[in-house]
Amino acid sequence: MKISTYNFLTSMAIKGVKVGYPLKLTINKKNVVECEFNPVFIEKLLPKLDWSAVYGAAQVAECEDIPQAQPDNIADNEALLQKLHHLLFEIDVLEGQLECPETGRVFPITDGIPNMLLNEDEV
Amino acid sequence: METPHTQHLSAADYEHVYEPAEDSFLLLDALEADLPFLDALQPRLCVELGSGSGIVITALAKRLTQSTLCLATDINPHACAATKRTASHNGARLDSVRCNLADALRPRSVDLLLFNPPYVVTSDEELQGKEMLAGSPLVYSWAGGQHGRRVTDVLLQQLDGILSPIGVLYLLLLRENKPDEVIQQLIKLNFKAVKCMERRIPGEYLYIIKVTRSIN
Repeated sequence: MKISTYNFLTSMAIKGVKVGYPLKLTINKKNVVECEFNPVFIEKLLPKLDWSAVYGAAQVAECEDIPQAQPDNIADNEALLQKLHHLLFEIDVLEGQLECPETGRVFPITDGIPNMLLNEDEV
Repeated sequence: METPHTQHLSAADYEHVYEPAEDSFLLLDALEADLPFLDALQPRLCVELGSGSGIVITALAKRLTQSTLCLATDINPHACAATKRTASHNGARLDSVRCNLADALRPRSVDLLLFNPPYVVTSDEELQGKEMLAGSPLVYSWAGGQHGRRVTDVLLQQLDGILSPIGVLYLLLLRENKPDEVIQQLIKLNFKAVKCMERRIPGEYLYIIKVTRSIN
């Protein structure tokens, strides 16, 4: 699971959960897969991302130098775009877990696939 | 679009995962025919629900690489794994998430949504009964309950919460699913829906319905 994917996951389908976001990420095993740097794509994707979840994931993935608040002029900041590229697209979480911030329900990540399937009594 | 290679999937895989068939290829053909529209849409997030072998989302991920994040969901863990394998064997980048429909995704985030639902008309007992629970997860890939619409109807009710403001859905339906009724239902839900491709195959007549938000 890439961090870009993590940014779109929520536990709000659980009955009674209001936001379910951001999920608390734990990484037990990760892989780094290099891929082509595309600054334009990152810029265009940014409006769809939640910066607090980007920042939170950066702390867990030990990607330093991602600022806590989203800077205004990211398009001109090649160094930051490079760091975001690495964080969002090159880190692949193989084993770990996601935890609902409201209920503590844990979703395991196994072989790179998060299992977000809920039991019938949870929805 | 290139049709993805599937040699890495064996008969043993297809005991647990839906094997690509005419319906999968119709969905691929409809997407290919609509590429000018998709290129203009510039989707940032593309999601296929119930990706099965992963052949459709892999083809799209290859075509839209560098401009679109691609995700695949399935309730069947074998399908989630098969989708990842199909992507990796074809050099496509995507992630699999095990969940029901788009349940695990942030609201109104999906720009391009694909769904080849379980559309076969079955009894609801077959869909919900003990046979289903005891049986292979493969049943979920085709058993559609009354009119073959049980799962599709759930999606239609959730669609407004799934699609982004520019979002579009390509939905595969069988004639027995009453596509005209589905289109009317979508219009009531404030969407625009048209048949964008149809094809007769042995024993079935299939449609692809393209759904967008209505401008008003």
